[in-house]
Amino acid sequence: MASSTGLFLLLLAYMMYGAFMVRLFIHGRIWLRATVRHDTDPSRPPSESCDIWARTFLDVLFFRRLFTSDKILWPGSWLFHLSFLFVMLRHLRYFLEPVPDCVTAMQPFGVFAGYVLLLALASVLCIRLFSGKKRYVSYSNYFILSLILLISLSGILMRNFFRPNLLEVKSFSLGILTFSPEALPSGNLFIVHFLLALLLVPYIPSHIFAAPLVLLDAARREKGLGIIMHEK
Amino acid sequence: MKNKGPFTGGLSQIQLIELDACTQCGECLKFCPVQDVTGNPLVSPPEKIRLFREFIKATEGLKARLFKPSEIDPKLLEDFVKAVYECTTCGACGENCPVGIFTQRLWPMLRKEMVRRGLGPIGIQAKMPEAIRRTGNPYEKPAAERFSPWLPEDVKISEYAAIGYYAGCTGAYEAQPMVRGDVLVLNAIGEPFMMLPPEEEVCCGFPLFITGQHEMLEDLVKRLVDAYASRGVKTLICSCPCCVNIMARDWPLLYGKDLPFAIRHITQSVAAAIKDNRLTIKEELRERIIYHDPCYLSRGVGIIEEPREVLRSIPGIELVEFDRHGLNSRCCGSGGAARKVFQENAIAMGRLTIDEAVEKKADKLVLGCPACYAKVNEAMEGHDKKIPIVDIMELLSGLLGKG
Repeated sequence: MASSTGLFLLLLAYMMYGAFMVRLFIHGRIWLRATVRHDTDPSRPPSESCDIWARTFLDVLFFRRLFTSDKILWPGSWLFHLSFLFVMLRHLRYFLEPVPDCVTAMQPFGVFAGYVLLLALASVLCIRLFSGKKRYVSYSNYFILSLILLISLSGILMRNFFRPNLLEVKSFSLGILTFSPEALPSGNLFIVHFLLALLLVPYIPSHIFAAPLVLLDAARREKGLGIIMHEK
Repeated sequence: MKNKGPFTGGLSQIQLIELDACTQCGECLKFCPVQDVTGNPLVSPPEKIRLFREFIKATEGLKARLFKPSEIDPKLLEDFVKAVYECTTCGACGENCPVGIFTQRLWPMLRKEMVRRGLGPIGIQAKMPEAIRRTGNPYEKPAAERFSPWLPEDVKISEYAAIGYYAGCTGAYEAQPMVRGDVLVLNAIGEPFMMLPPEEEVCCGFPLFITGQHEMLEDLVKRLVDAYASRGVKTLICSCPCCVNIMARDWPLLYGKDLPFAIRHITQSVAAAIKDNRLTIKEELRERIIYHDPCYLSRGVGIIEEPREVLRSIPGIELVEFDRHGLNSRCCGSGGAARKVFQENAIAMGRLTIDEAVEKKADKLVLGCPACYAKVNEAMEGHDKKIPIVDIMELLSGLLGKG
């Protein structure tokens, strides 16, 4: 049976995920209700082509556009996103039973990605804060990055120094997913880690969902720029 | 003015997604010409997007849906209006945006929303629709003076021809050496070309579009397109990047169907004529010149190579480039009608262009936009660095030799 702290975290988890879903729904609704549904830009290429998709693929997977404009920030930013993805995939083992072989196989990479995440994030923050003449301070951006930094730090501390009982962690996580509350794992660091992760959920940046669509549009536009004033 | 209604009405689906896609990373600030001269992040691209997101949240967010939309702080709106109109809409931010937001198109649409709410445009920009309605141009100059001060008498203008030439208001009234050069070069090519009578060659709509005042656009475009079509035009040539941009990108939409003629920038026609030996450059020019890419020509419609082809075909010339050129060119300060209100910014940006040209030891600074031409010339007044400024066709027309 869950303790009062456990119940609180459980309710908080449902609230945070609920808030995230509502936010996603509202954004999606605004997108879908746009009066100007179709872009009539004549620079749009007459048909989709493989190179547009290839360019979008490179943009999404390797942050090609960031690489072009800022080669100093690019390594940290790219590694941050990539390692974040690996860390998330690694955490699937706490939410899936049985654990798929691929998730088991990638565990060492996930652990390594945890360290990379911390370093990459620190480098991004340092570059943003201390380099360049023009700095734009987005408090929400720094809030999210700081939150991820703390989550990552607490995760590494748990992994190396204050290991929680992983069986308890798993049954607690599965309990959330199956709406059957289980006891909160022992260890204050886990509570901190879990709480911070919950705080992050409603603030997951909208660019994660929107950017791939915009990058696809940008790839189409780049392709179309060559034909707008030239023979089609 | 009520500011509780949705802010998303005039934006396309992809533009709404673009607003969500901004990561607020601030990378674009390094490329923003307004930042170069003001250093004020409050007028930066991510701040504009952040504020606009706040407006959407206040009017269409969860709280607004559950209870009622909240009135937006007038100070926030005021800050936003200033930021969105101080922008030169050059699009360098979008060109360097890690997620590829099409800002050269997004900013004018956000301005349109401000106009719809009665908050924009600002300053003298608000007088443009009435000026165009009365005189056909935003400068409120008489139509009788549109061509006469600069159109050479020996240039033959046909009434009907397959090629039409549109001079544009800024060229005709504010950068006359440029349009004079245009007609001299077209004349030298030797193919008949026509121009509309001065009272019929009205504004192309760009100043209204860029300031968010879209009401008269369809009417202006229909008048112009029908006038050219009725005179047999199959190719409409223009040198003004802003005019060319709206003609190629928006005229078909505003006209309601495909245009009955092709739109060509003058450098396209001239580069082709040089290649086909229809135009010969007779005189050489042993000079080091630097060419500035107009934002609405390079980033706007992808005309980057043709001006360089024209310049390289001048015997003896040495062409040097700005550090930022082509798709990544830096705005000279004249864009987005901001020069009409934020004059100090425009002058300071123009001087950055002059400084770099001087630093690169160029003998001449070659421009290809009437707004740039007027403003950069103005920026040189009282500036410690000097360089001769010339339009690309003005330069070329002086090298064609007599007869």
